[in-house]
Amino acid sequence: MTSLNVIRWIVWKDFVTELRSRETISSMVFFALIVILIFSFSFSMDHQAAREVIAGIMWVAFAFTGIIGLGKSFSTELQNDCLEALQMVPEAKGAIYLGKVTANFAFMFVVEILLFPMFVILFNLEVVEEISLLLLVFFLATVGLSAIGTLFSALTVQIRAREVMLPILLLPLVLPVMIAAVEATKGALNGDPLAMYEQWLELLAVYDVVFTVVSFWMFEFVMDS
Amino acid sequence: MTNLHRRWGGVFLVAIVFIVLTYNHYRDNLASLAPEQVKQETPAGEIRVLGMVQGGTLETRGAGEATFALLGKSATLPVHYQGPPPDNLRELKILILIGTWNADRQVFEAHDIGIVPNYGFIAGAYLLGLLPLALLLFAMTRRVHSLYEEIKASTLYEEE
Amino acid sequence: MTIHRVIRKVQRFEGWFGGGALLCLIAGLYLGLIGSPPDYYQGEVVRIMYIHVPLAHTSLLGYTILAAGSLWYLWKRDPIVDNMCQAVAALSAVFTALALGTGMIWGKPTWDTWWTWDARLTSFTVLLLILIGYLMLRTFVDDPEKEARYGAILAIVGFVDLPIIHFSVEWWRTLHQPQSISMRGVSISSGLLVPLLFMSVGMSLLFSYMLMVRTQLLYLDRLLHAKKGRLLSQFHLSKSDS
Repeated sequence: MTSLNVIRWIVWKDFVTELRSRETISSMVFFALIVILIFSFSFSMDHQAAREVIAGIMWVAFAFTGIIGLGKSFSTELQNDCLEALQMVPEAKGAIYLGKVTANFAFMFVVEILLFPMFVILFNLEVVEEISLLLLVFFLATVGLSAIGTLFSALTVQIRAREVMLPILLLPLVLPVMIAAVEATKGALNGDPLAMYEQWLELLAVYDVVFTVVSFWMFEFVMDS
Repeated sequence: MTNLHRRWGGVFLVAIVFIVLTYNHYRDNLASLAPEQVKQETPAGEIRVLGMVQGGTLETRGAGEATFALLGKSATLPVHYQGPPPDNLRELKILILIGTWNADRQVFEAHDIGIVPNYGFIAGAYLLGLLPLALLLFAMTRRVHSLYEEIKASTLYEEE
Repeated sequence: MTIHRVIRKVQRFEGWFGGGALLCLIAGLYLGLIGSPPDYYQGEVVRIMYIHVPLAHTSLLGYTILAAGSLWYLWKRDPIVDNMCQAVAALSAVFTALALGTGMIWGKPTWDTWWTWDARLTSFTVLLLILIGYLMLRTFVDDPEKEARYGAILAIVGFVDLPIIHFSVEWWRTLHQPQSISMRGVSISSGLLVPLLFMSVGMSLLFSYMLMVRTQLLYLDRLLHAKKGRLLSQFHLSKSDS
């Protein structure tokens, strides 16, 4: 079994479990809807104010749902000692990491694609021409979130109070992703020229590369026992 | 009287000496009178008065001369300033005036403007910076001390 | 019972660091509070800089030591290094909190506000959050080896993240904040530099001294714990033999 096969099997395994149980994605979508609802009640917004804060609300909802998905990613492996089985895979542990990142990224991205129309409808957004740019922002930010989130999901899964510790450790570290994603989304929604928020896309790309590499390397130490 | 106590006693003494020295150095700048005190007590000689320049009363005449009213808590003091051209004399500005109280004309003749001391902030910052560190270090050294003692004693769990 | 030779060495030399710290801090405080003139623009308040800036420098120094120690731990798996990491994280958190506190006290008379979302203040707050997260993480792991390993991983990831956090907050601030409130207004003239230098060296020495004391504390605690456990098991073994 080569490393590539390990990645493929892990992604396949996560997809099949998800298709059978539909636990992760449905809970993520439902949770995000509640977050949106609460936000729309807590700010009484007119059309102008909605444009200002919508990007922030969107990314808070995405980050929180992402954390739910990330937490489930490894805690499901605790059942039947699957985690020990994963640790015994003879290939490099980085392959497990890449497989998990791919699966987590896919779940989060699907949820974001499902939720975006809700935002458009509930907050009366004008559907923008730069939808491809918006998708690029979603893509880059979600890669960043899942790259570092998968590492911390694996790290917190075997400790006490893991549901609390995952967001406590993760959220300060993904602050650059949140800032850049909010600013870039705001720019794309307002239809600003690309040059105005290009730097945020570059920041997201740099973050993605740096933390995929660092997490890939650190994952060896998380799994090693 | 262990070695630990002697060492920390020394640090404590140094700190006390330092606080006294600093206080002495700034005592002159700290002492100031309020406008209502000046009116009641009519002090003689050079005094320092702390107050705020009342809005709408400042009249400048030439480079180094101005009249205004200095606002205190319960009284205002008419002031005639004559001295070096001030660069921080504005309305609603809190400042310290150095000069003499002319009881006959009921006017304060100021010849210099001092910096308003916000020594409270400085003292607060230094205390906040140094006191927790000292307390933490003291607690840690004491604990290490007792741990060494405990390890040396090695009378743990002896047979009953 | 033998005490590790590194700890014995630390015990022998720590006095030099403590004494040096005391001397440098006394010189720095004297120059800063009494010997130096007030700043032309800021007046007497500038003296807060002599305590605030060294605290901030030292907490960054502490975080660098933490990251280096964490790498070393992942490489060599030496428990003493882990004790050092745990000690340096707690001390760094204290120094960061104090730097933030003194910074707020400095901000009030200078910019008439306790808090602004300035790039440096914000990244120091995030640094504090990461350090507190690190300390919390360690209390939630049962196995000491795992505790050390997980802590090291978090410390390294956080260390890589810090510059990125700083840049992103700085860019964000230039978009959203009026330029009037800015830390850049502080220009350091040579008269202010001498007390600042003494305080910085003194704070670094004080940090090293505290680090040595705290490393000893954690090491001895663990040693005593192990000794108690060993004696207890010997006791029980002898009971079951008879």
